[in-house]
Amino acid sequence: MKKVVMKINGKSHQFIVEPDRVLLDLLREDMLLTGAKQSCDRKGQCGACTVIVNGKAVRSCLQKVANLDGAEVITVEGLGTPDNPHLIQEAYVLSGAVQCGFCTPGMIMSTKALLDRNPNPDVEEIKKALEHNLCRCTGYAKIIDAVTLAGRFIRGETTPDKVRPDPNGPKIGVSHPRPSAMIKACGVAAFSADIKLQDALELAVVRSTEHHAKIKSINTSEAEKMPGVMGIMTADDIKGTNRIVIIFPDQPILCKDKVQCLGDPIAIVAAQTKNQAVAAAEAVKITYEPLPVLKNPREAMAEGAIQIHQEWPNLCFAQPQIKGDAEKAIAASAVVVEANFTTQINHQAPLEPEATVAYIEGEGEDAQLVVVGRSIQIHGMMANLQEALGYENVRYEEAYSGGQFGIKAAMTSEGISGAAALHFKRSVRYIPSLAESMLLTNKRHAFDMKVKLAADKDGKLTAFTIEYIVDNGAYQIIGIYVIMRAMWMLSGSYNIPNINAMGKLVYTNNPAGGAARGAGPPQVTFALESAMDMLAEKIGMDPFKFRKINSLLPGQSVSTGMVYEQWPFPELCDAFQPSYDRAKKEAADLKSGPIRRGVGIATHAFGIGGPGDAGRVAVELDPDDGITIFAAVADPGEGNDSMLTQIASHVGGIPMNKIRLVTRDTDHTAEMGPAAASRMTYMAGGSLILALEQLKKAMEEVGSKTYEGLRKAGKATHYVGSKQAAGQEGPLDPVTGQGPSFESRVHNIQMAEVEVNTDTGEVRVIKMTTAVDAGTVINPHNLEGQLHGGIDQGVGYALREEYIHGKTNDWNTFKFPTMKTSFPMDVIIKETPRVKGPLGATGIGEMTMVSTAPAVINAIYDACGVRIYNLPATPEKIKAALTAKK
Amino acid sequence: MNDSATHNLEAGDVHQKFRTIAGKEILFDKQGFLWHPEDWTEEVAVALALECGIETLSDDQWRVIRFLRDYFSYHGRAPLNRDLKTGLGISLMELECLFPGGIRHGARRVAGLPNPRACTG
Repeated sequence: MKKVVMKINGKSHQFIVEPDRVLLDLLREDMLLTGAKQSCDRKGQCGACTVIVNGKAVRSCLQKVANLDGAEVITVEGLGTPDNPHLIQEAYVLSGAVQCGFCTPGMIMSTKALLDRNPNPDVEEIKKALEHNLCRCTGYAKIIDAVTLAGRFIRGETTPDKVRPDPNGPKIGVSHPRPSAMIKACGVAAFSADIKLQDALELAVVRSTEHHAKIKSINTSEAEKMPGVMGIMTADDIKGTNRIVIIFPDQPILCKDKVQCLGDPIAIVAAQTKNQAVAAAEAVKITYEPLPVLKNPREAMAEGAIQIHQEWPNLCFAQPQIKGDAEKAIAASAVVVEANFTTQINHQAPLEPEATVAYIEGEGEDAQLVVVGRSIQIHGMMANLQEALGYENVRYEEAYSGGQFGIKAAMTSEGISGAAALHFKRSVRYIPSLAESMLLTNKRHAFDMKVKLAADKDGKLTAFTIEYIVDNGAYQIIGIYVIMRAMWMLSGSYNIPNINAMGKLVYTNNPAGGAARGAGPPQVTFALESAMDMLAEKIGMDPFKFRKINSLLPGQSVSTGMVYEQWPFPELCDAFQPSYDRAKKEAADLKSGPIRRGVGIATHAFGIGGPGDAGRVAVELDPDDGITIFAAVADPGEGNDSMLTQIASHVGGIPMNKIRLVTRDTDHTAEMGPAAASRMTYMAGGSLILALEQLKKAMEEVGSKTYEGLRKAGKATHYVGSKQAAGQEGPLDPVTGQGPSFESRVHNIQMAEVEVNTDTGEVRVIKMTTAVDAGTVINPHNLEGQLHGGIDQGVGYALREEYIHGKTNDWNTFKFPTMKTSFPMDVIIKETPRVKGPLGATGIGEMTMVSTAPAVINAIYDACGVRIYNLPATPEKIKAALTAKK
Repeated sequence: MNDSATHNLEAGDVHQKFRTIAGKEILFDKQGFLWHPEDWTEEVAVALALECGIETLSDDQWRVIRFLRDYFSYHGRAPLNRDLKTGLGISLMELECLFPGGIRHGARRVAGLPNPRACTG
């Protein structure tokens, strides 16, 4: 042990610590300063724990407290408070740089250290100073803006009051600060691991070391005797169905007889400390009888392959789509291209690990199990917990969430903490490591696609055929929806009169495929948009012109046969043309030598408001004539709090500071479905307006806009609005795949400008430009933030990222995007009001990355003449293709 | 292809199916919950009750159904059992016995509330 005295946020403290105690843990556990976050398993990879020590920004997870005697430490809590924020915190909020907010405190501390020594840094100096801070939401663009703005504040060139939009001015189309942004910037928003839970037990989970095996025995006897262990539970201790159900009931909370995937949970250890729990979990002995491991869909569909789930065949779902006669059209077409494409399993990569806590509130028959976690569908998760655990009185609370990008459409760690709280009758914390979080979560589905695309002599598309075989992994999270979503949006931006498609979903022993930004369309769009460039080249037509002349037009139908009356894609092409011309001109001079410039285009028309979708939002007029909105509208970083607040203020004519949001727990909210499928602005915003219109009608009827006026007239002050999307007539036809698609579409063009080093195969993204028509823009910063973050993820998907189960175990092996890999982004916005959209708006969150990978791949081809068919396009693959070409 | 892949293979939307109930074609999910609670009528309730073995809905059963619908209509969510107990003054044991399948799979379904696990989008 060693005695250490240091100043933390200006106050002197004495600690007596073990030699290996790191500053991050001391701050969070001893000082309860939870602004500094833990993401990377204390490897110094993420910077979320950055604080200032003796004037320098340091990653507190790498700082041994024993070496800090006499040090002066400043944490984000020492900078400012929501009521009295620091200028840097103001700059982050006003720049729209705070999305999920998990990385924000660390970013802000690195910014502070930079501006203290250089109050006027250029972009390269900013990128260098923040090179150790990771962000998955922003693509770093608005963070750079925030640092720049903070410098201006500090240099006295402007002030927050001059930059802040007038809160009494227009509400729509204005970047009003997000309601939650400042508490995140000040480090006081409670993420799951930040929640203080008195006398809580710490949990660790015994996970399968086999990919596919029968469980022959579970021996907990040695582990139970270890220090601090309070108990160990297995599947037999769960009183309910022990099954997580989104589509099929195939995933156990704890495996009983068999494991289907490496990392499957088998037992839960509860102990007084995390280290004790982990040590005991390692001492639980499991014996297995290994079974054949099915590593891909081809193996799983092979004759005689072992069936992974008794109740469902390995090929568990297949959906055809037939429009016109594709084979006949191809035979008659002037030009045809044919190719196979594959996409990789990928991690959604939210920065926050899969933490949850659980406790029992109340006693006896009123005892309520409370689970706090990161879900984007709290009512659905509550229902899952009720049945899986056999306990009805459940409340799910959404904590602040460090990104999710689809991963939290599934139940991940909450089943573990909920089961343990009930079994041990104690408060519990389950804070898995990053490596364990990667093992236990669902992933983006890998696709294997066989494509034909044809056109006539004038370059008009005639037919598209595609067979896509999807690796469902070990469990059915939303695999069937991924097949369907790909089908609903299959023809992208274009009018393709003849289509023949087949989507097949296949269980394997890989990690369960789940929701991942876009979920289906990014994969099939990679194939379609690559084929579009191949076909344009064969015809001899400019690829951008080829896309424009093949745009769907109002009155024409997409691949499902649904006719659209709004399709402002040609107008978006017109807006984009100057950027394309500029990029092509600049690239033309860089076509020789080892470094070659290329320009690539891809487009998409992403669906918003799924067939049969419904939302529900309740509003209540408060005694002070403000409005409280009750709806489970999760906000893991997109800015749904802005959306609700600005729409309610605009429609209700009530100041934004009198709009209150109750969105985070199942006891008080209307069911709104998942914050997925880019649906919240469209569905929740639409439902909110319907509720407000009822309130306004009541006000008009009584001639009063006040709470007292309504009450005196005997009118209700509480209303529920329910937006119902088109497609209520039912599902796609199981034989033809014809039927309803999404009510609305968001249109997008993306252009990648890249440089390829033909000696090494390395690709440098020079710039990404995106044009989007998402209808009315409610908050420009939030829209741009989604675009920037999605494009950054799309570039990672195109060039670097691949999740390999059991091997990808931290941010370095994942190849997380950094300041160093970031690139400039241009955004072109058109606002064609959508007829059925709330105030004319539609959705944006997922579309942002759908076109990115094919744009990058097409740009690589344009640069050096090699086409990559299998994502990601690593330097090794490009170099090999260049060598083969020679 | 493994043998089992040739049967039980699903297509279309596995969540939805149309059924004709009380003379109306209504969209249900595969667990038998109405897709749209707005499709519910008292005639639909009677028909759904009959399907689960209730020949005539009693006054107590109607009280539960009306409470469920009123609660859902007001809050936009289904009540927990404790809300039912408080609102109706009936013990949980009695409530569970009132409908085959209990509150969750019986009463909720007859009352036309949606499946809370519904995954949309």
